[in-house]
Amino acid sequence: MSPLGRALLVAARELFAERANPDGLAAALTFTGMLVLLESLAFGPGRARQPDVASGVYWIAVLFAAILVSARSFDRDLEDDAIDAVIALPGGRDALYAGKVLALGAILLVVAAAAGVLSIFLLDLDIALPGQLLLVVLLGVLALPPVVVLTSVIALRVRARVAVVPILSFPMLVPQLVAASQGSAAALTGDGPAALAWAGLLGAFAFVYGVLGLTIVPAAIE
Amino acid sequence: MSGSASLHDATVVLDDHPVLRGASVDIGPGLTLVRGPNGAGKTTLLRALAGLVALARGSRTVSGAPLYIGHRSMLLRGLSARANLSFFASFRGMRNADITEALRRWGLAELADRPVERLSAGQRKRAALARLDVEQQPVVLLDEPFADLDRAGMHLVRDAIVSALVREQAVVVVTHSLEELDRDAAQRLLMDAGEVRKI
Repeated sequence: MSPLGRALLVAARELFAERANPDGLAAALTFTGMLVLLESLAFGPGRARQPDVASGVYWIAVLFAAILVSARSFDRDLEDDAIDAVIALPGGRDALYAGKVLALGAILLVVAAAAGVLSIFLLDLDIALPGQLLLVVLLGVLALPPVVVLTSVIALRVRARVAVVPILSFPMLVPQLVAASQGSAAALTGDGPAALAWAGLLGAFAFVYGVLGLTIVPAAIE
Repeated sequence: MSGSASLHDATVVLDDHPVLRGASVDIGPGLTLVRGPNGAGKTTLLRALAGLVALARGSRTVSGAPLYIGHRSMLLRGLSARANLSFFASFRGMRNADITEALRRWGLAELADRPVERLSAGQRKRAALARLDVEQQPVVLLDEPFADLDRAGMHLVRDAIVSALVREQAVVVVTHSLEELDRDAAQRLLMDAGEVRKI
């Protein structure tokens, strides 16, 4: 089986397990929904619908959702040492990383879509460039899993993993957070060139961290 | 299907503590039994052979990708026994593996599609051990395969190991059981305080 086939197999396994016990997805949806709701209350209806504020809060919510879903996924894999069975397979380490990145990306797309729809209706957002906004959201979501899964793998056997993963992830994710927030705000306000530029940057982040993860993860997983 | 595995002067350090100290073992086709007191490093020896722990010193050679079944089931919760076994078989490119028959042989025909977290510990162990029938690898590493099993389950393990030996697989079994498998063993290893010696 090809490396891509193995990664897709791990991703499918992740998604089936998440479908059977959707605690990660449920926690992420609840968290992002609550954050959007609280934003509208905390900032008030006028400020909350400003593009930079709405975008910033939205991406912070998606970022935390990524940490939540990834944590649940690795918790499930650590129960009964299920992760060891994958690592012991030929090409298992690469497939585990790539498969978890793909699965997390798929789940985050659902979370991002739900949070996006909630933001649009709750905050009554005007979207000047919907196509560019979709592109920024898509690439912004894809830019998160390579880093989150990478740090989850590095902290795999650490006792305080729940605290360590965000501490390791957030500094690395600041550029993605800035690019995604700025890109979304630009798409909301109608600045097409800026939105596309930020989207390109997000695509580059996804590619670079994906390659970096595939390079160092085989040595990092024990 | 002739399998082999070896460790040469292998040292494994976990939490700044040497768990395996300069271990050298040569595993060939046939049964190798590993015994020793709790904490002697038996599981670490198997994990070193499986490539699941990094060697601080020494080297490891294994033919093919070994089948390692730990003392826990290593099955993913949320999935059924059938889905777990299908995943492993597909991953190894074994499209024709008869998973239904393997689960039936291990007494899990009725439970094949139940999520593994809803199986008893013994049933999960049987599902894990059904991998012996599905993934027939040259090197098989079993950590306490008799744990959690009833008498019938223990017989099934013994039969599966004997079948593996007929296929000339190299089978390494860590067990505290004194009577099981002794007469089939080609090699016996004793571990104590991270060191291994033949007996």
